[in-house]
Amino acid sequence: MSHGTVMPVDGPATLEWSEKAKAEVADALSRYPVKRSAVLPVLWIAQREWGWLSPAAMRLVAGSVGLPESEVFGVATFYTMFNLVPVGRHHLQLCMTLSCSLMGADRLYKHLQKKLGVSHGETTKDGRYTLRKVECLAACGKGPCMQVGFDYHENLDEAKVDALLEKLK
Amino acid sequence: MSRGPLLFKDIDTPGLTGLDVYKKQGGYEAVASSVGKKTPDEVIEIVKASGLRGRGGAGFPTGLKWSFVPKQSPKARYIVCNADESEPGTFKDRELMELNPHLLIEGMILAGFAIGSHQGYIYLRGEFEYVQRILDKAIAEARAAGILGDNVMGSGYAFQLYTHLGAGAYICGEETALLSSLEGYRGQPRLKPPFPAVEGLYASPTVVNNVETLMAVPHIVKNGGAWYRQWGNEKSPGTKVFSVSGPVKRPGNYEVPLGYSMKSLIENECGGMRDGLKLKAIIPGGSSVPMLPAADLDTPLDYESMNAKGTFLGSGGVIVIDDKTCIVDALWNVTRFYQHESCGKCTPCREGTYWMSEVLERLENGTGRDADIDLLADVADNILGKSFCALGDAAAMPVQGALKHFRAEFEHHVKHKTCLVNRRREEVAGVRA
Amino acid sequence: MSKLVKVTIDGRTVEVPAGTLVTDASRAAEVHVPIFCSHSKLPPLGACRICVVEVGMPKLDANRQPVMAADGTPEIAWMPKVQTGCTTTVADGMHVRTASNVATKARKGVMEFLLVNHPLDCPVCDEGGECQLQDLAFAFGHDHSRMDEAKRTFDSEDLGPIVKKEANRCIVCMRCVRYCDEVMGENALTAHQRGVHTEISSFDRQPLACEQCGNCVEVCPVGALTALPYRFKARPWDLRQHITICEWCPNGCSVRLGVRGMEILRARGTEFRGVNQEYLCVRGRFGHDFVNAADRLTAPLVRTGAALQPSTQEEAVTYAAARLRDIAATHGPDSIAFVGGEKLNVEEQFLFQKLARHVLGSTNVDARTRVAAAVSGSAVLRATGGGRPGLTFQGLYEAKEVLVLFEDLQGEAPLAQAAIVRGFRQRGLHVTVAHARRVKLARPKFKGDHLAVKPGAELALTLALTRAALDLGMPEAVPAEVSSALGALQGSLASWTGDKVQNETGVSAAAVAAAAKRMREAGAKALLFGRGVLEHAQAPALVQAIENLAWALGAITAEQSSVMAFGPHHDSAGALEIGLSHDTLPGHANAPKRGLSAREAIAAAAEGKVRALWIVSDDLIASAPDRALVEKAFEKCELVIVNELFLTRTAARAHVVFPVAAFAEKEGSVVNSERRLQKSNRALSPRKGARADWDVFQSVAQALGADWRYRTSEDVFREIARTVPGFAGLSYATLLPDGALLTGTPIAASIKAVEAAPLAGEGLALLSGGTLFADGSLSSRSATLAKLAGGVRARLAPAEASRLGLVAGDRVELTGPAGPAVFAVEIDDSVPAGAVFVPAAGAELNRLGVPSGGGLRVSARKSASAATVGA
Ligand SMILES: Cc1cc2nc3c(=O)[nH]c(=O)nc-3n(C[C@H](O)[C@H](O)[C@H](O)COP(=O)(O)O)c2cc1C
Ligand code: SF4
Ligand code: FES
Repeated sequence: MSHGTVMPVDGPATLEWSEKAKAEVADALSRYPVKRSAVLPVLWIAQREWGWLSPAAMRLVAGSVGLPESEVFGVATFYTMFNLVPVGRHHLQLCMTLSCSLMGADRLYKHLQKKLGVSHGETTKDGRYTLRKVECLAACGKGPCMQVGFDYHENLDEAKVDALLEKLK
Repeated sequence: MSRGPLLFKDIDTPGLTGLDVYKKQGGYEAVASSVGKKTPDEVIEIVKASGLRGRGGAGFPTGLKWSFVPKQSPKARYIVCNADESEPGTFKDRELMELNPHLLIEGMILAGFAIGSHQGYIYLRGEFEYVQRILDKAIAEARAAGILGDNVMGSGYAFQLYTHLGAGAYICGEETALLSSLEGYRGQPRLKPPFPAVEGLYASPTVVNNVETLMAVPHIVKNGGAWYRQWGNEKSPGTKVFSVSGPVKRPGNYEVPLGYSMKSLIENECGGMRDGLKLKAIIPGGSSVPMLPAADLDTPLDYESMNAKGTFLGSGGVIVIDDKTCIVDALWNVTRFYQHESCGKCTPCREGTYWMSEVLERLENGTGRDADIDLLADVADNILGKSFCALGDAAAMPVQGALKHFRAEFEHHVKHKTCLVNRRREEVAGVRA
Repeated sequence: MSKLVKVTIDGRTVEVPAGTLVTDASRAAEVHVPIFCSHSKLPPLGACRICVVEVGMPKLDANRQPVMAADGTPEIAWMPKVQTGCTTTVADGMHVRTASNVATKARKGVMEFLLVNHPLDCPVCDEGGECQLQDLAFAFGHDHSRMDEAKRTFDSEDLGPIVKKEANRCIVCMRCVRYCDEVMGENALTAHQRGVHTEISSFDRQPLACEQCGNCVEVCPVGALTALPYRFKARPWDLRQHITICEWCPNGCSVRLGVRGMEILRARGTEFRGVNQEYLCVRGRFGHDFVNAADRLTAPLVRTGAALQPSTQEEAVTYAAARLRDIAATHGPDSIAFVGGEKLNVEEQFLFQKLARHVLGSTNVDARTRVAAAVSGSAVLRATGGGRPGLTFQGLYEAKEVLVLFEDLQGEAPLAQAAIVRGFRQRGLHVTVAHARRVKLARPKFKGDHLAVKPGAELALTLALTRAALDLGMPEAVPAEVSSALGALQGSLASWTGDKVQNETGVSAAAVAAAAKRMREAGAKALLFGRGVLEHAQAPALVQAIENLAWALGAITAEQSSVMAFGPHHDSAGALEIGLSHDTLPGHANAPKRGLSAREAIAAAAEGKVRALWIVSDDLIASAPDRALVEKAFEKCELVIVNELFLTRTAARAHVVFPVAAFAEKEGSVVNSERRLQKSNRALSPRKGARADWDVFQSVAQALGADWRYRTSEDVFREIARTVPGFAGLSYATLLPDGALLTGTPIAASIKAVEAAPLAGEGLALLSGGTLFADGSLSSRSATLAKLAGGVRARLAPAEASRLGLVAGDRVELTGPAGPAVFAVEIDDSVPAGAVFVPAAGAELNRLGVPSGGGLRVSARKSASAATVGA
């Protein structure tokens, strides 16, 4: 389940903030005495705007928080929740760490793999789902668990996963 | 029904996330009675007297930590809440914040006041986006009510509070890595000394405390240090929330006095093991601490008793491992976690976690060799105490614990190329690579 | 000096200053503790863990007295964990064990970890043979590897034309990334991903957009970063390594040349030596390939009729001497002028002026050829507080406030820029840059102040700064005559306030006042200027104004000077010290009779008054400010002698050309901008047919009957040490390893009022100066630099370009009073609107006209012509 090296793929040449995002960026900057502190919040804003962090998005973030592009790149690739490649409409992040594994996470992963026809890090052809194995989500008492986007789904089994996928379509 | 003596006592009260209900329960009385009324040093003394120890894992006395902040520093001071909660097996802070956000805010105000800070941050792990929304709402409410801001409850003391969302990195729970991350650097730990109390956020004096630690503070400040000592024992006073996971009947968060019997926690609170399973091993303090065999189940849940058994109370993430689970497999899972989460800064952790995972993979898959068990032990020994921060230790200690108590299972793997027991062998096959 | 403490390392007790790191104390105790991630110019990191040691302190009893063991030595309480020596500072009484079982096991463990994912491809690695990992594996490693699992792998990649990355070999010491950030201020490199997948690269793996200095390659302890220009050229043990002084700029960096046969294959820094240690800029590291160039001159040339014909050395010497003797006899010695020589070493400069003054009796010697308005040597010496203990690069790094006047240090003094960047990153240095362009140090990232002076208003801004400084009262530690002169000066500056400052200089009076105040109040300060001043059209007045300002800011005091001037060449400062100047003699003394400056000599030659010119290593046709005048001088002169490496345009017009040795082919000493006299060494034999300049001068002197008998340049140096004040007591032996700072009698101030004259006329202000990749006449002779520069382009602000309808890659025709020239266009937002910047590098800007007043204005229009200048 190694993190591996994921490099951003090519994206748009340049990007601009929407008016709404601009206000959010300004708000994020206002929370810290030092501008660079806002790099995570502003990367989040970018990911919310475009779904993933293209090089153009990272360049835009660098400009907004006054950091060299290289540093933003180093920061963005350090954390696992930033998508360096586009992801599907529903990002299924299944916890595989010990507590969830003890409760059947591995079985669920195989189930999802078979059902969706994709493996870790891959997106279904229709662009609907991206499947990802992740580490402990702090839901150990309700494992197996999975985050879809930011939403927690806990105490899962095959039937619940099927129902969830049905609902998400 | 109350779920615990203190932090969990009224936590299921409907509407508790709202300011009104919180206040009705006596919320913000500690701020009202102490901020601007007592001196910061008096607040620190109360916390010192309570014997409260940090609930983030290290168990460092909280009042003492606060007293390290230089009183005369011309620099701004910061209070930072560690809400990164990423230690496998731990999920208490999430529930505490989700259900009682104002208690954390109140704890932050008191800690901030005690150390002379006017700005605080709550660093949440990235996955807690929904918790951030709950906290932001509570913060906005508190600000509107004059509880946060330029004049906290009319005391003349100013305190601003913000949440900050991480983005997926266990290491950011380590306090200096957390500060790097909060400053906008890659989340890697920094040299200590200087300790955060002297040079922390923006090179200014900073206190980092765990969510649960800070939530105990309002109760302590309101009721006094001695009052808090009604729970627990001399060196481990107070209550602690334990997150229990694994195949028990009722996993979940349980607040009990420190020194409580681990056995009763599992058998009474959690209802014992699921049908057909027996307890084989137990990890008492999050995946970073050495596991104990079932024989040690009656160890009291406090800092000293755990140390006496060669393990740690840690974050209180109790992971129960059943008799049909292969220890080699479980250890491989844990070791991969540390490999995945190693920040890459120092050599022993970066390379050693990778190497241990490779060896464990080999053992689990039945291609291990005689020398592998000693090799694994030696690699762990070469990490322990030599890495830059405690993440390396956290990766090495589970290996040592497993080898100490369950060496036979490893030997079985080498000899018979398969598990002694593993109800999940079919499940996990091929999933991990 | 901080307090000394005693530490005992493996039984050896040493005294070191408190605060010393255990690794450094070990070096003092001559105990080897290996390091990878730690670096003397970077703050402690403690990441690689190779330097682990055991640390202990004497046990104390209840009365805080040391507990004694049976053998009478204090008992030591050893810390339970090993500590990293590179992050642990010593304490008095500390004990360190580097070779105990515990320390050795820990270190072997780290070593083994470092090899877990290392490819062990030493046979095909350029670092092989000088790799610290290889050396340590040899010393500490196991005899076989216990790690036989699959290694994680990365793709190798070229990060642009200089840096090759082989990430599998990387040990994530972060030296490259931190050096790039903290010393270079570039941030081209970053670590991305994390854990075992951590990889050093650039933003999105793009080619590095940086100074291309290659210092990342230098500080990489393994072969993860290697230099493409050197790739697979040699094994280190095949190279002869010679330490000498770089000849690219006046900083005087020590450079270690790797030579095989007659070829320089690479240049590296020197680790523990020199003003730079490991640091080199792109020119110092990759620009020395001009020495290898195939088109070097290999025989003297003598003009017969219309053509230059190869000749023997004797023929050329005899011919030159005979013609010089004739001309001196017929028209008097002052009809001969000796021009150039800032690229010569001190010994050669000394003999050049001696040949002129003593053998031929001419007073016309002057090294400074590029100036539109000649500044006297004594004026420059005064403006830099000559004779006083001066500013060093270390002092610059430690300064609190730095004022850079009209100089782009990146192009002309890269080491000085690096000292400022590092001072900013590590010591809170604040920099104020007065420059028409937003040069690198004026970028927001360095948090300095940029006084964006209007082109041509440099003198005005200097006056305004002086006025603001004097408004703060008299500086401390000024001699009485200086304070009365400054008092008198104040009157002449009365008008330089408020709107006038803003209108004339483009900088607000408040910003000027704040800058002056910061400088005045800073304890450790530095005032820097260079070619932007020395080659300014109003240089004489500007240099005088800077002398006034330096005193007013307290940057020169009776005791010391915090002013540093950067001449155009690596031995420009030597020329001043040794009197290669029309008005000063060796050792700063005023010449009894003022001769003609280089510029005056050329003008006199154009009028037929000077009849012979001897030009050393200067392509005057391309670089002298007044091209027409030079052409005319050449037409009129009876004799032009040129010492050169190449057949330049100027050499092609000469009557006699002496091929000369390049800097690395000869021995001598040179003076950098700190006034540090350093030994420059011979790394390889001169190119066939070439001789050191001093040897040429001696041959001609002898042919003229002088009794010169120098066998080596050291003989010349002995004479200098004997006869020139300031050099007394020095010998080649005393110059190793760090050279000698020249001092002497402090030169008295001469504070005088000067008037500013604005840059009149219409059109774009023409800005010029050296840039990193394109500088002077040599950069185009270096294959690597020429490739990086990609031709000389005219740079325009985006607004200016669009006004002219130009986009990058178009051609622009610039027309000045003397005529037009066509350049490729580059869009550059650091250039102000209303100006055009063209690097002074083979651009032949002198086709456009002679700068006067505040400079030169040119008109610009889009050109259809395909041919450009300097491409
Ligand atoms: C690798 C590592 C991960 C950690 N993760 C957490 C965490 O998720 N939450 C936490 O509160 N403390 C964590 N800690 C402990 C913190 O470094 C720190 O000790 C704690 O936040 C201090 O708060 P306390 O004194 O209230 O316990 C971690 C430590 C290490 C070494
Ligand atoms: S590339 Fe070299 S210098 Fe850079 S981090 Fe890796 S080993 Fe160190
Ligand atoms: S040199 Fe000390 S940890 Fe790297």
